[in-house]
Amino acid sequence: MRHHAGFVKAHSACAMSNTFDPPLPGTLVPGTASAAAALLTACGGGGGGDGSGADAPAATPPGSTTPTGAEASRLLGQAGFGATDAQIERVKALGASGWLDEQFAAPRTQSHYDWMLAKGYATDTNINGFAGTDNTLWRKLLSSPDVLRQRMTLALSEIFVVSMTGLPVAWRGFIAAAYVDVLEASAFGTYRQLLQAVTLSPGMGVYLNMRGNRRADPATGRVPDENYAREVLQLFSLGLLELNTDGSVKRDASGNAMETYSQDTITGLARVFTGWDYDGASRQETSYTQRPMVASGTTHETGEKRFLGATVAAGTPPAAGLQQALDTIAAHPNVGPFIGRQLIQRLVSSNPSAAYVGRVAAAFDNNGSGVRGDLKAVLRAVLLDVEARRAPAAGDTTRGMLREPVVRFIQWARTFGVTSPTEVWNVGNLSDPATRLGQSPLRSPSVFNFFRPGYVPPNSALGTQGITAPEFQITNESTVVGWANYAQTFVASGAGELRPNYSAELALAADAAALVKRVALLLAADALPGATLDTITQAVASIAASTDAGRNNRVYAAVHLVLCAPDYLVQV
Amino acid sequence: MKHTKHLQSRRAFLRQAGQLSMAGVAAPWAVNLAAMAEAAAQTSSTGADDYKALVCVFLYGANDHTNTLPPYDATTHAEYLRVRGSIATARDALAATALLPRAALPGGRQMALAPELLPLKGLFDAGQLGVLLNVGTLIQPTTKAQYTAASVPLPPKLFSHNDQQSVWQSSLPEGSTSGWGGRIGDLFMAGNGSATFTCVNVSGNAVYMSGREAVQYQVSTSGSVALRGIQSNLFGSAACSAALRSLVTAPHTHLMRAEHTRVMSRAIDANTSLSAALAAAPALNTVFDTTSSLAAQLRMVARMISVRQALGVRRQIFFVSLGGFDLHDFLVAQHPGLLTQVGSALKSFYDATVELGVASQVTSFTASDFGRTFSSNGDGSDHGWGSHHFLMGGAVAGGRFHGRLPALSVNGADDVGQGRLLPTTAVDQLAATLARWMGVSDSNLALVAPNIGNYTVRDLGLFNA
Repeated sequence: MRHHAGFVKAHSACAMSNTFDPPLPGTLVPGTASAAAALLTACGGGGGGDGSGADAPAATPPGSTTPTGAEASRLLGQAGFGATDAQIERVKALGASGWLDEQFAAPRTQSHYDWMLAKGYATDTNINGFAGTDNTLWRKLLSSPDVLRQRMTLALSEIFVVSMTGLPVAWRGFIAAAYVDVLEASAFGTYRQLLQAVTLSPGMGVYLNMRGNRRADPATGRVPDENYAREVLQLFSLGLLELNTDGSVKRDASGNAMETYSQDTITGLARVFTGWDYDGASRQETSYTQRPMVASGTTHETGEKRFLGATVAAGTPPAAGLQQALDTIAAHPNVGPFIGRQLIQRLVSSNPSAAYVGRVAAAFDNNGSGVRGDLKAVLRAVLLDVEARRAPAAGDTTRGMLREPVVRFIQWARTFGVTSPTEVWNVGNLSDPATRLGQSPLRSPSVFNFFRPGYVPPNSALGTQGITAPEFQITNESTVVGWANYAQTFVASGAGELRPNYSAELALAADAAALVKRVALLLAADALPGATLDTITQAVASIAASTDAGRNNRVYAAVHLVLCAPDYLVQV
Repeated sequence: MKHTKHLQSRRAFLRQAGQLSMAGVAAPWAVNLAAMAEAAAQTSSTGADDYKALVCVFLYGANDHTNTLPPYDATTHAEYLRVRGSIATARDALAATALLPRAALPGGRQMALAPELLPLKGLFDAGQLGVLLNVGTLIQPTTKAQYTAASVPLPPKLFSHNDQQSVWQSSLPEGSTSGWGGRIGDLFMAGNGSATFTCVNVSGNAVYMSGREAVQYQVSTSGSVALRGIQSNLFGSAACSAALRSLVTAPHTHLMRAEHTRVMSRAIDANTSLSAALAAAPALNTVFDTTSSLAAQLRMVARMISVRQALGVRRQIFFVSLGGFDLHDFLVAQHPGLLTQVGSALKSFYDATVELGVASQVTSFTASDFGRTFSSNGDGSDHGWGSHHFLMGGAVAGGRFHGRLPALSVNGADDVGQGRLLPTTAVDQLAATLARWMGVSDSNLALVAPNIGNYTVRDLGLFNA
């Protein structure tokens, strides 16, 4: 008990930083020299060393010139969820870099937890269910104005995965919602803060079983649960193999890859993650679901722990041991390239060049002011890199990424100003692969996400060339048709109670070419080639525009055909 | 379609020949002729009888084999209870599912099915369900001393879910692009009227199902999904329907767009024949609990098998799955529900194969990432290695335990710590045995199971003679 007060104190500090996202030493302040310096650091040298040889060094830092509408729309597709007229104008006015600054400074909207509480979901009947959770997740993804934070939160939820399929505990809906709040609160902080907030969240505690994890009992042979120790290394920080700073696999003198950890590492680290549990669990109220877990001296392993070259001395209090463990993990040189490459894949490109990964990893290692793991600097490096900002070219055969179904859906909804008449965002679970998206936020089948960063489609030209294409892991005969069919429904009839607003498109309905051009700019950043535009335009023009029904059908056809076109589906 | 099929067959043949000759085979022409034997045997055979299917039931997350097949003899059960404590199943709860195999286990050992697997007890007793003990990923036979000394090559990335799923399915870690189900499919595509329906996945994409040439075809639990916009006018416009078809199937130079187009084109083509065949098929009478995802998937497999003649297929590989087995916690709360689904779905599926008259032509088997520790962490078990699995079908030498029964202990002779079993039967041996049952010739087994040359036993004797 003497130790206990100490742990609580340490946790309170942590909870504050999670909740209020205070400025850090070296945090980029919009419009200051340090922001510009970080930008140059992140992108300095342009694309030199890119294996494709396609990137010329930028004469001026990307993001500092006035973007065109198409360029603005491309950025909004990568950094947010697609474009609206207002957002395009904002990017044009501020430039890419300035727009990022504005997004970093955008206030957070009502948290998932608070919204669920305010909407009355904390009732006895919901204690073992997820009522309200899909609602609030869709609410913010579809309507919260801080698009970059929402996009980053979605990306983080696919790296630091917690799934509703693995939370068989009381107040699971609130635990899931509070977990996404933790990711959102940490989205523009440091990696180290994020790692701790994730580690101590009740959501992760339940999902990967650190909550309630007890020290070994030699009498029965019971040993600490190894799940979090293993996955935090494999998935949230280091990966399995030692990496060079450009993300390539490091080789020893004999040319062999080197594993970053062994079973002994896991066994050692698992001992650190013992003794932690909810802070004040209750069946009567939900507030503990948003408080970090706390340690109990009675179930924590007090012996020495060794992992990754670090030693936690015997008798170290649980909180101090945890700090040491997370410091050790976060300082590992793999983290920058490992996490950086995945963020590039979530936002910009399935196959970043080694040089691009290297530039992002450099920004991770140092934001320009000596801060490691500054996620704002990482996002700048990801989004302002020449490889992200370079205009698509006709000869591109591997750049970009297949837009994931959830992002396509959000993009449609935001582009056409979808609203929820009931204000409860009744979209529901869209996981059905044959009739919905085959994907739904926070409903991954396992901690390995909907798709893996290293996925290579078998028996394909992509496979032959070793091109990773994660989103193709959920692309199959059912899901490709499922998307087209579901889109046909929601484009015309809305999704559940959600209704789009096509007033600007309807105003152009009589002019098929103008209508299709507008839709292509908003959804596809003007990247549809002429032949595709012609095909869609001629099809739309086949519908008579002389009636309201005809004009509606023209808009539906334009939007649906763009949403089904491979030129749109693969964002370049 | 026909042209494509022949092209694929020819490519498969050339690829086979190439791999065999690269493998240093002395008489390539003789081997090439042998390599054609599987397809030739099929095509010369007559009628409905020449049909076989292999159904992989993958339990994602790593099934706890100890509670799936707990010890039942008093001595071993007492040790099980001592080690596992609160996560063990009481002995009296196992009385109804205690197994009486046709050949007794050594040392007076007895095993039971988990109580939730009661529906499978009758199949075991009747000889249609067998158990393969302690099977797992290996590169070559490995002793504990060799493991400890790291003196033999071991499967890469042991204890990592995604990688061991991949090694189980393909012999290589994540990123591998062909699995042994698909590689069996490679050898039989040529004899199937439609190559598309050779490897049919009712779950999500799995490397097990991709061959070097064979492509997995995904079907939903309710059948192929028709592209609505081309079935009738799209938003009232025939031109829009035509544009949709053109857009989603047109060739692309961008490789991701081309791949998307390829999947969509296959979906449209396959739906044409499959939806017609399924619509014309008599309804299945066997009842499946379709509230269970696994049962719904296996029901679809049964429906696909029911239209095998309409589709002109003679050898098929199927894949279904159930997730949620990674029970580090909540083992007692969650595992029984999962096993209930497994027991019910497998029993219904066996019954459906009886109804369809193909019980001896369809073999199902369970697989999983790896086994789990015998030791408890208080509320569940941890990542292990070797595991016990089921084989089911009329051709299976059932009512028996196959393989070697490991000691049930922690840090004993057969485990590498915490009761992580060191496998005594390799997945390659299982793959080769199943492939041989499907009709793959001995000389082609290495195409399916690349490490089979490291084992003297290439046929585990899992089938009735």
